[in-house]
Amino acid sequence: MKEQEIKQLIICCINEYLELNETKIDINENTALIGSNAIVNSMGLVNIIVDVESSLLDSDIEISLTSEKAMSRVVSPFRSISSLVNFINEEINEESK
Amino acid sequence: MKNRNEIFLITGTRKGLGQSLALHYLQTGKIVIGCSRNNASIEHKNYTHFKLDVSDEKEVQKMIRVISKRHKKVDVLINNAGIALMNHVLLTAKSSVNDIFNTNFLGTFLFIREASRLMIKNKYGRIVNFSTVAVPLNLEGEAIYASSKSAVETFTRVSSKELGQFGITVNAIGPSPVLTDLIRLVPKEKIDSLIESQAIKRFGETEDILNVVDFFINEKSDFITGQTIYLGGIS
Repeated sequence: MKEQEIKQLIICCINEYLELNETKIDINENTALIGSNAIVNSMGLVNIIVDVESSLLDSDIEISLTSEKAMSRVVSPFRSISSLVNFINEEINEESK
Repeated sequence: MKNRNEIFLITGTRKGLGQSLALHYLQTGKIVIGCSRNNASIEHKNYTHFKLDVSDEKEVQKMIRVISKRHKKVDVLINNAGIALMNHVLLTAKSSVNDIFNTNFLGTFLFIREASRLMIKNKYGRIVNFSTVAVPLNLEGEAIYASSKSAVETFTRVSSKELGQFGITVNAIGPSPVLTDLIRLVPKEKIDSLIESQAIKRFGETEDILNVVDFFINEKSDFITGQTIYLGGIS
């Protein structure tokens, strides 16, 4: 899966969640998923993580976004959409090695 | 009401209560996925067995992924796998404490964390954990076992709050002594005195436990969460 596809997949999951919660927010690659500027609360993040993981699984990509590796990073993968894209991309590349 | 309780995940299904629970739900036409450290003891077309240690994160994740691919969901999770230990605090080895907490608490945590991902997607789930009457009775000689189950009870209450908004209920059952492998090493006088402290003075039966589990997992029990029910009139 290419970087652009990963980004689209994440944005799609976030938009779906926002729509379900009747929230209208324009999102881009700098949109934060955690921290004071986050567009969702912790439960929203849980929802999005589950959706992204299962969407990846639909494409036969098995990645845990709550692994030790993800959670212990100095820069959290959830700081922004682009950092999440980077993390997933790294994991995919590592898997294929 | 549409029957949503189709896919059951039960830990510790090789023997004892876990095996009885699995057979019971298989008999009622459910699909049961079980696990234990050893090979399966159940052969049934609707039963799948995973040989794993419930405290092995990677193995648990792998199991849930297989279930996700095959069934797309888990409706009911019964965290039955558990080990008991009777020993004086001063005679308890650190490795025993690790083993007991790993199986009883960590295993419960891992299965809830992983299975609830599927339940969240489905906006439905019923989780039943196993505690023990050793918690409210503060039984001497069971400090580590009871402490691990206290952790399970607290985890039941807190996780019920965190998962409630996703349509997932989390409850626990604290069986009084049932004649299974788990209590085979407990001295008879200890068991007799325990039964004496119950309001209803008899051994628990598998049916007593099934009755409570059936109540917790009933679709109509969607307003019952974060509770621990003890059997035999212990409170």
